[in-house]
Amino acid sequence: MKDATHTLTPQQLAAVETVLARYQGKGRSALLPCLHEVQAITGWLDPEICAAIGQSLRVPLVQIHEVIEFYTLFYNRPVGRRIIRVCDDVPCYLAGSEAIIRACATRLRVDEGGGTTEDGAWTLEIHPCLGRCEQAPFLMIDDEGYGHVTPEQIADLLGGKP
Amino acid sequence: MSYRPILTARIGKVDPTSLDDYVAHGGFQALKRALALGPDAIIDIVTQANVLGRGGAAFPAGIKWKAVSTEPGPKYVVANADESEPGTFKDRIIMEGDPFSLVEGVIIASYAVGAHQAYIYIRGEYPLAITRVQNAVDACYQAGMLGERILDRRYPLDIEVRRGAGAYICGEETALFESIEGKRGFPRIKPPFPTQVGLFGRPTLINNVETLINALPLVQHGPDWFRTMGPLDSPGPKLYCLSGRIRRPGLVEAPMGTTLYDLIYNYGGGVTGSGELGGVLLGGAAGTFVTADDLDVFMDFGSLREIDAALGSGVVIVFDTSVDMKAVLRRIARFFAHESCGKCYPCQLGTQRQLEIIERLAADRLRPGDLQLLSEVGQTMTDASICGLGQTAHSAIRTALKRFDFDPSTGHFARFGPPSGVQEALA
Ligand SMILES: Cc1cc2nc3c(=O)[nH]c(=O)nc-3n(C[C@H](O)[C@H](O)[C@H](O)COP(=O)(O)O)c2cc1C
Ligand code: SF4
Ligand code: FES
Repeated sequence: MKDATHTLTPQQLAAVETVLARYQGKGRSALLPCLHEVQAITGWLDPEICAAIGQSLRVPLVQIHEVIEFYTLFYNRPVGRRIIRVCDDVPCYLAGSEAIIRACATRLRVDEGGGTTEDGAWTLEIHPCLGRCEQAPFLMIDDEGYGHVTPEQIADLLGGKP
Repeated sequence: MSYRPILTARIGKVDPTSLDDYVAHGGFQALKRALALGPDAIIDIVTQANVLGRGGAAFPAGIKWKAVSTEPGPKYVVANADESEPGTFKDRIIMEGDPFSLVEGVIIASYAVGAHQAYIYIRGEYPLAITRVQNAVDACYQAGMLGERILDRRYPLDIEVRRGAGAYICGEETALFESIEGKRGFPRIKPPFPTQVGLFGRPTLINNVETLINALPLVQHGPDWFRTMGPLDSPGPKLYCLSGRIRRPGLVEAPMGTTLYDLIYNYGGGVTGSGELGGVLLGGAAGTFVTADDLDVFMDFGSLREIDAALGSGVVIVFDTSVDMKAVLRRIARFFAHESCGKCYPCQLGTQRQLEIIERLAADRLRPGDLQLLSEVGQTMTDASICGLGQTAHSAIRTALKRFDFDPSTGHFARFGPPSGVQEALA
């Protein structure tokens, strides 16, 4: 997980190339949509991929790195294959988010402040309000949301294995 | 409580993925009416109705619509669906449950101000809302209602849905423009205002999702009808987001100026936890705390301002007396320290200093002079920050210390239960 570049499968590479062909010459305003699409395939954005994105869009590399660093949903480091975002903002705290976080951290053996499991399967993130406060406590696994979660549910949500 | 929802009437009844079903539920009647009225008449209606922006800043929508309409093109319309204020979920529920209404609102606004390109910027953590709104836009294109014409009128209009990438600051209008332009979300210095120099340096109308969907019933029923709801200086229907220690958390649509008591006890079913109300956070992290003594306040922009509180985006977070208020303040301070974009020093440094002091407060380790320093840091952020994030970063903490009677000698908030630490041990 410490590599600066990925080993992408041929399918992933082909998919990235298809995306980049579509963004050819589109310029800076297309940067965020392009990063989203590429990262959806690759999981995170390594320097080689960033260079390819820059060439395709015709955006200087430094601007791409700036943007990736600024936005929390873009990653310039390896992250787990699945990301679990647990909300710990005020309404979720009032509904017991601390116990949810503890259950996730224990199960995944990562820090309660968040982190990636040793096998690279999961990344735990502690997140500000996810906009589902009426279903507190709330968490997201990739693009799927789970409301009114209990600590007992966590093992199941994390795939049953410790 | 005999009020019949207007903005949320279709939610739960309409199939949010179907254009046909939207039309069957009265969809695009407002746009039809708008096209018959023409741009000037629409802007007059929005102005006379005195619609105040629902994104938090309460700026009169009519003034912005008028200003952009008189500027030369190209110009843009942007729907602000970044919704990241803690405690806010109203725009998500609209977009997930009735996405075509937002698209219709954007079309009406674009036609009124003379824009031919519009953007809907949705926060990245709302995948379902993004899918639904994108689907609604696509369906309109397929039906020939976007692109070369809107509905059946020749009027070129393109709408693009943009996905945010996890930054609270991108809800600030100029930071949002930077983000669409492919940059980091650093707010710009104002003036110039977006109505003159906005997205891509062009005149831009930016409104919140809820503001935009108010245009639908408004063009159909007119400003007099609109002003029968709520106070004259801030009329109309309002979406309130109830959460926290309340029996029925969720979205409530009620007339602007509904009392806080009604929201908590009638709509929300009352307080859970100890059952006794300790306080309420209005407007989210950027908002203000009030107490049980304020239950009779009318929940509109003007009435709240009079009592040193703010409506903001309509957030109502309820706290019972057993809540550890220091843990709450710690989260608010952490939020701002994390979300400050770092462009200006008062906010970049101030939010860090504020967090350090609140961390000490939460750990019962306040040092002499800390509260004085906190208040000075807060004042500096409020006065000297260049955007609303820094200007409001101290507001919740200031009002909590003021209204919950914090006693530095004991480390207690008089209105709340045992101090931090003790409470965990009891639980
Ligand atoms: C830090 C910050 C975050 C904001 N976030 C949002 C937001 O998520 N949604 C929104 O509509 N307005 C947000 N605003 C307010 C916008 O800057 C702007 O006032 C609003 O989009 C105008 O629309 P309205 O007049 O319809 O309310 C934010 C402002 C600040 C300072
Ligand atoms: S006030 Fe804060 S968020 Fe706003 S520009 Fe300054 S540093 Fe950035
Ligand atoms: S506080 Fe957790 S979703 Fe809003």
